[in-house]
Amino acid sequence: MKKVSAKFSLEKRKAIAGWGFISPWIIGFALFLAYPFIKSISMSFSKITDISTLDSVFVGFNNFLYAFTVDINFLPMFLKTVTSTLIWTPVIVIFSLFIAVLINGKIRGKAIFKSIFFLPVLLGNGFVLKQLLDMGITGTNGIITIPESFYQITGSLVGDIILNFIGQLTVILWKSCIQIVLFLAALQSVPEPLYESARVDAASEWVIFWKITLPMISPIVLLNCIYTLIDFFRDISNPIVGYIIQNGVKSLNYSYGAAMGWIYFLFIFVVVITVFAGMRKLIFYGGEK
Amino acid sequence: MKKIYLQKPIHLIQSTAGRLPVYIMLVGFAFIFLLPFLYMLSNSLKSPIDLYDTTVKWLPHHITFQNFKSAVFVLDYWNRLKTSLIVTILAVFGQVLSCSFIAYGFARFRFKFRDVLFLLVLFSVIVPPQTLIIPSYINFSKMNMLGTFLPVIVPCFFGMGLNGAIFIFIFRQFYKGLPTDLEDAATIDGCGFLETFWKIIVPTSQTSLLVVFILSFIWHWNDFFEPSMYLIDVSKGTLTMYLEIMETPIAMQKYMDQYTIAVKMACTLLTILPVIIMYILLNRRFIRGIEHSGLAN
Repeated sequence: MKKVSAKFSLEKRKAIAGWGFISPWIIGFALFLAYPFIKSISMSFSKITDISTLDSVFVGFNNFLYAFTVDINFLPMFLKTVTSTLIWTPVIVIFSLFIAVLINGKIRGKAIFKSIFFLPVLLGNGFVLKQLLDMGITGTNGIITIPESFYQITGSLVGDIILNFIGQLTVILWKSCIQIVLFLAALQSVPEPLYESARVDAASEWVIFWKITLPMISPIVLLNCIYTLIDFFRDISNPIVGYIIQNGVKSLNYSYGAAMGWIYFLFIFVVVITVFAGMRKLIFYGGEK
Repeated sequence: MKKIYLQKPIHLIQSTAGRLPVYIMLVGFAFIFLLPFLYMLSNSLKSPIDLYDTTVKWLPHHITFQNFKSAVFVLDYWNRLKTSLIVTILAVFGQVLSCSFIAYGFARFRFKFRDVLFLLVLFSVIVPPQTLIIPSYINFSKMNMLGTFLPVIVPCFFGMGLNGAIFIFIFRQFYKGLPTDLEDAATIDGCGFLETFWKIIVPTSQTSLLVVFILSFIWHWNDFFEPSMYLIDVSKGTLTMYLEIMETPIAMQKYMDQYTIAVKMACTLLTILPVIIMYILLNRRFIRGIEHSGLAN
């Protein structure tokens, strides 16, 4: 048994240990992130005069004003991304919780379902998925084909709308795999005795879900909400992200790209903080005192 | 003596008939989730005749493995595979190690500025990477890391790298859900914090370790944006980078006659094959979940 040093109180030692545990991150931040952060912010407030040395002059909020007042592409793309994210995030979180609860229940072939629902994650956000999407999910070469008779029933316009919707929904479903996995892991870590004692008290499964399961997995609900938001916002297939790359990397318009990136970032940040603050009261941390 | 039921017990009736809608739903969704793989597989096996035959949709009439041979050649498969494996494994190792460690600090200890710092962690993941790519490039060039995979690998050992902050967040949420009883007992027994972390937290949080390992592996494997930014000589790149290069006009011209949809799908399938194998290998443990975790241990 080690001797507990009398010099520091436990409280103090814990604080020091805390700093110790996060110290790799602080070092990493200083080495790899601090400079890009600062440089990128300063770039967004300036105009680059020499592309090779990145010499620049300070222009204040010009780049930001340009995005909102002059550039006709920025705002519509921005709004489109924002609306689709805000609509689809709750859908994904609820859908993935639903699937995870179904799989976690008493069903046969549990292992097979678990494996299958994780599969699209293997495609990543990377190029493989992009190639599949390029093929068009509901197009002629696409993954889902609808028989001709379908069009005859619905008419071509309605048919197209439905096809479009199915295509979008499919992509959305593929995007909910990680959330399903995280929920499953959380569901499995709820201590079984809690359920047992609830069942002894004759609580129905419905009540058990709301009173035990949901509070116990609430940290992961928050995680999934934030993750889904971020995943959506950062997706390369987003028109606005594509536009930022186009300006900030490809067409060498670094400072304007940086400015748009920071506008976009500020918005995401506000959304994430709102979600955090809004869910704070609803979350139950088993390990907190 | 064998039990004789006059009637099927109620819980059995419920479990079969009552759960039928559940099965239908699950099978339906499972099918949607399987689609991309079936699509890749079916197309990669098609012979040129099948490709032009519009009646052939899912089942190729003339199955051929020639596409895979072309894919191995076009991708320079074995060399690229080696590069991909080395880069991915190093990066994943770094991230699992550092992120679990850092997250423990955020989850369990109270210290000044903790919440501000955690906000900064979240910050780093919310900032679109495209915003930071140019200054990062300059930063790495100052460190003489350009032209290698170091800019992809080294930050991973500091809880950064591709989605590092997300992993810190994942670990933190899981740790916060764990009861503190075991750790308190360890502290009372005079166990140091580091020792507690290694001997109690790491073994009990196997599911989250596995989740992060698998996700980190997949994301690094599929990532082409960052490595292709920092690695100037693309011919030394990873598989996924090569797959992207195949879409450029120069490559298209070079391999025009060979790069049909069938070969393309064979290439994609070969590219994610190691990920699929990794998943199959870990699947059993992953699925079994954390039976040995928490207080049961």
